Amino acid sequence: MTLSPEAQARLVASIAAAADRQAFAILFRHFAPRVKTFLIRSGLPANTAEELAQETLLNVWRKAAYFDRSRAGVSTWIFTIARNLRIDHLRQGRVRDRSIEDPTDERDEPLSGEAIVMAAEREAKVRIALTKLSDEQAAVVRLSFFSEKPHSEIAEELGIPIGTVKSRVRLAMQHLRTLLDEST
Amino acid sequence: MTIEHHPSDETLARVAAGRLDAAPAIVVAVHLAACPDCRAKLRGFEAIGGALLEDLAPAEMSADALASVLGRLDEAGPAEAPPRPTPRVPRFVDGIELPAALDACEVGPLRRYAPGFRMSRIRMPGDPKANLMLMRIGAGRKMPEHGHTGIEYTLVLRGSFSDGIGHYHAGDLAEADATTDHQPVVDVDGECICLAAIEGRMKLSGILGRLLQPLLGF
Repeated sequence: MTLSPEAQARLVASIAAAADRQAFAILFRHFAPRVKTFLIRSGLPANTAEELAQETLLNVWRKAAYFDRSRAGVSTWIFTIARNLRIDHLRQGRVRDRSIEDPTDERDEPLSGEAIVMAAEREAKVRIALTKLSDEQAAVVRLSFFSEKPHSEIAEELGIPIGTVKSRVRLAMQHLRTLLDEST
Repeated sequence: MTIEHHPSDETLARVAAGRLDAAPAIVVAVHLAACPDCRAKLRGFEAIGGALLEDLAPAEMSADALASVLGRLDEAGPAEAPPRPTPRVPRFVDGIELPAALDACEVGPLRRYAPGFRMSRIRMPGDPKANLMLMRIGAGRKMPEHGHTGIEYTLVLRGSFSDGIGHYHAGDLAEADATTDHQPVVDVDGECICLAAIEGRMKLSGILGRLLQPLLGF
């Protein structure tokens, strides 16, 4: 099932405005299984990943009114919710610091049409940027995001020296940064 | 004053991915609160996370997952509007205003460990082993010599120091990995207050370090 970024944003808006359960169900079917994969790849057992994936989507329901289109797309927003729940789970209920925690605490710029367009463009550019990475760079970026493993283990897994992993991460990040900079 | 020293891209990517330890994450958060450029960069990295999430192969959810979550929506309450943020009351320890990122932490008074060197080991809820320290070092003093197995993150809250690599003022973040040979020295024009976190284990060296090691319990 594909769900365009615009369609996703409309579904979240509909939850915020009208507690739309149907909109929620569509988002759930699309995102919960992907969040579960993310959490499993991050090293959580399948049952915990299932629980936190459900919890992530419950947060989407609760926090729909917080969603700020000038800040991020829906998939990015949901990624950060899942990321934060995973951190909370690993730190056993520790309170995370505010600045990373709540995407709503402060806005850098007023919620304007221009900001929304810029955020949407950034998300689109990131997607394109990712497709422009070499296979090797993409593998390293994916592993750094989704794998619990330190660089030393990634090196073993890919059969390359740790120095190479580090330089590939650095190069891939630089490359992504350049592509992102071009977009701003 | 403009901030000149920023977290590395790799560090920001780790924040975005949720893969930076709790103590360094707090130090970076203090920098982020003061640095719009790094907040924008962080958003770029978070967008990478969002794009990667979209591309992941869906895992199979349990058969009743959607039904069970739909059943919990009422108990979860209706979609809520953002509450008005409550004003934060500033906290002080020994006259040092603590950054908001430390709100959940226990920060005791600074103790004098050596001439011109006072420090408080910060307790993070749920992570008693976190190496997070608030330090006050006198004008012209050297920071204790030490090594570390992982990266050390030092953020200047007040004053300034130099380490042979750079010159750091309020808001600046210094990252030093295990191979960096550096000995920070506080500038002569005033004391320096820093927040520092270390990944992995700290290895203190030198006479002062050997004296401190047992006291600090590293």
